[in-house]
Amino acid sequence: MSLLQSTQFRPDPSATTARRAFIRAWPDFQNPAAWLVALILIIMPLIASGFFLIEIFATTLILGIIALSLMFLAGYGGMVSLMQLTIAGFAGYMVAVFGVSGNANISLGWPWWLATPMALALATLFGTLGGALAVRTEGIYTIMITLAIGAAFYYFTNQNWAIFNGHTGINTVATPHFWGVDWRADIAFYYVTLGIAAICYFAVQYVSRAPFGLALQGVRDNSRRMAALGFNPNAHRIAAYAFAAFIAGLGGVLQVWNYRQISPGSVSVGACIDILIIAVVGGITRPIGPFIGAFIFVLLRTFALDVLIKFGLDGNRFRLLIGLGFLAIVFWSSDGVIGLWERWRRHHVSSAKRTGGGRHG
Amino acid sequence: MDSVAHRLSAVGAGAALELRGVTRLFGALAALTDVTITVRPGERRAVLGSNGAGKTTLFNCITGDFPPSSGTIRFFGEDITQFPPYERIRRGLRRTYQISALFPGLTVQDNVYLACRGVSRGRFSFLRPGQNDALMHATENLVQAVHLAAVKDQRVAELAHGQQRQLEIALALAGAPRFILFDEPAAGLSPTERRELIEILTSLPAHIGYIIIEHDMDVALRVVESVTMMHNGRIFKEGPPREIESDPEVQELYLGGGHE
Amino acid sequence: MARFIERHPAWALIAIIAIAVVLWLVFAIWPPGLEAAIGRKRVFLNAVLNGITLGGLYFLVASGFTLIFGLMRNVNLAHGSLYLFGGYIGYAISTWTGSWILSFIVAFIVVALVGVILQLAVFRRMEGQDLRQTMVTIGLSIVFADLMLWVFGGDFYQIQTPAWLIGPIQLPLLTAIKSSGEPVYLQYPLVRLVIFAASVVIGVAMWLALNRTRIGMIVRAGVDDRDILAATGVRIQLVFVLVFALGAGLAGIAGVVGGTFQSLSPGEDTRFLLASLVVVIVGGMGSIPGAALGAVIIGLAEQLGSVYIPTYAIVVTFLIMVLVLALRPQGLLARR
Repeated sequence: MSLLQSTQFRPDPSATTARRAFIRAWPDFQNPAAWLVALILIIMPLIASGFFLIEIFATTLILGIIALSLMFLAGYGGMVSLMQLTIAGFAGYMVAVFGVSGNANISLGWPWWLATPMALALATLFGTLGGALAVRTEGIYTIMITLAIGAAFYYFTNQNWAIFNGHTGINTVATPHFWGVDWRADIAFYYVTLGIAAICYFAVQYVSRAPFGLALQGVRDNSRRMAALGFNPNAHRIAAYAFAAFIAGLGGVLQVWNYRQISPGSVSVGACIDILIIAVVGGITRPIGPFIGAFIFVLLRTFALDVLIKFGLDGNRFRLLIGLGFLAIVFWSSDGVIGLWERWRRHHVSSAKRTGGGRHG
Repeated sequence: MDSVAHRLSAVGAGAALELRGVTRLFGALAALTDVTITVRPGERRAVLGSNGAGKTTLFNCITGDFPPSSGTIRFFGEDITQFPPYERIRRGLRRTYQISALFPGLTVQDNVYLACRGVSRGRFSFLRPGQNDALMHATENLVQAVHLAAVKDQRVAELAHGQQRQLEIALALAGAPRFILFDEPAAGLSPTERRELIEILTSLPAHIGYIIIEHDMDVALRVVESVTMMHNGRIFKEGPPREIESDPEVQELYLGGGHE
Repeated sequence: MARFIERHPAWALIAIIAIAVVLWLVFAIWPPGLEAAIGRKRVFLNAVLNGITLGGLYFLVASGFTLIFGLMRNVNLAHGSLYLFGGYIGYAISTWTGSWILSFIVAFIVVALVGVILQLAVFRRMEGQDLRQTMVTIGLSIVFADLMLWVFGGDFYQIQTPAWLIGPIQLPLLTAIKSSGEPVYLQYPLVRLVIFAASVVIGVAMWLALNRTRIGMIVRAGVDDRDILAATGVRIQLVFVLVFALGAGLAGIAGVVGGTFQSLSPGEDTRFLLASLVVVIVGGMGSIPGAALGAVIIGLAEQLGSVYIPTYAIVVTFLIMVLVLALRPQGLLARR
């Protein structure tokens, strides 16, 4: 299920070896739909209003980045970690604690270019340590341990006032201003988010075919065999947690800049599970899945209320809708909506072939 | 014992693989009992015995898949008893599995590339290999050597059984092996594929020794110079193939009615 | 026991000293210096008893969770929802009929039925796919949580303690000696003690059922090696349904207990799911004695932590989990 990229696009036999390797390495560059999506995303500020730009698209990209870190662990490493949002939230808290915020008694007031790397480093450390714990056991236990870590962090932020300011959280977190640009202004922030999302997306895709990523997929398929090839499977798993934690940390930094505040609600167990839902609904075998999942999730969250009321239903039943949709996806597709879409297309192609091939008798 | 003499005896023996009193228990069941084997560098040996004789457990102890319950294992003089599997592999030990243990989701080339990468530096590299990467060349050569060049871009799940067995062997040949453990490499192969297998085994460089577990006596006796017979987790007899083959006890136990 | 002392003399010594210290703390009159350092003995004893009785509640929730996990490898992340659902059912029954006992019976039956339906309609179709099953339980927990929010709203509910259990009872534990020389004994709510005794009874009954009955043997064999079950020709589906029903029913009972001890509200499902997770990770996945040990440890850690280091109480619980994972990743009393 892993390297579908390599089989997805059958290269032209006349292409040179170098060209074929390039296509194999970067399947998106061959796909006209990918170019179209990229173009739309880049000119989005011309089309969309500030509300759509931030509430829909930037939010989608941020949730997509966090879910991408889960996709990396689950899809390539076979480790379903429910603590990715916790790591993101931790990074967000660290930005607020080290940087500037309205809670002057807590925030240390570092400039953003110091506070942000610090937050990312600490979040990566947090994820690595959590991963080192989670790899002590295997398989389905990972979910339980990472969920326990996530929940423990949530209750801790609620209880602790010295660093996390209890259940009120930290408010009016400062966002970067430099080169005369307010990077939290709608359009600038959209581009920052888009740029980081693109980097994360391509990084995950690139690493999946690099020795580290291949080895991780080997560990996923058969860790004992990997040890018999000279790899240390647990070291690879922990390194994967570290890489994923860095990505999740980036998402967390963007999230705290987006909302300008962070509180235990941002790292609740429900929010952790939302990330899993996003990744699973989008599809956890390819890096694009989490972004598709996040888009669906954000659309539902934003418009379910209006739509439900329009159909004469109770508008507060958004979570019911999410839960039922998630169940439906888990029941019918092991690869999220991408899997559904591909199955539909294959069906379409094969039925088209069948009608077209009729003349062969 | 005097430490110098001790060290000299280890070096003097010059054994590629030396097992002393290796025992492996599964609960109350002894899968291996007091196994002592010495194999010279470059030596090629068959381990024979009926099912349950402890042959695969022996391999698992040597590679560290299951550590022995007691006893010591030396590899080219170094005590590797406590090493995790990957440390043993990095020292030049290799193995194949009785039931193909490959990566079905990856292509043939990726499988071999992983094997090459596992015994070299850069296991954690985030950089994709370029076209002129030395390991890519090594991968290509190995794929050719086991006659899989035609299917190198196919996913392993799509390969035929015989091809998967060949890929198993390719994985064991990656890097610079010094000693290889083959666990029933001929199982399920067609006569043609068996001939190819024998050809691969006999054409290995002379310094690479191996132990082969093989039920097919024709294959086993053609590619080895010594034989170890196992029975109920113990070494039962050792010697050159001809001697073992004609030994009446062995014939009764294994070559005769004992073998299914 | 003797073998344990033989094999780990250092650990055995530490354990014996720890037990002696605890016994002394519980039974002795505290010297004034100690009271000055860590507070009154009454507070300590209350925290210990609260911890142990809370452990009884945790055991009720976690034993069902661990049983289902051990036999079917199904990480039932909707277990917290079953707990909360049982609590709401118990509340409805007890306010409607006024009978506390009846609310237990009805909650057990109704939630067990939910478990039967889940096993038959959902999990049977995806046997052996543990990740997919877990995903389904996540989806179910969201749906259940929202349905319960829909029906019961966001209010707090508390199940009325029956009259015959209301009020404190005097325990033969000295907390202090008055200046007049009169001993002061600890007062403790009767209902908590009764419920704790009940959970001990349930635990012992489960242990006996697992170790002394034929079906229990089958379940245990299945926990150890699931392939054996298929080989013995047992009607495995029936065993699965029964175990799921029992596990769910126990969660339902626990809900009534929790509703009496504490209160019921949205969010409690997550809290008790987390408690079950930690208890089972600490005690050992699939082990009933492990769940009991884990439950008491976590209950004590939570209560003592919240009394003595209130802002870091959760950290204590978490550190216990980390320590167990680091030293004995399979859990304290698990076989593997």
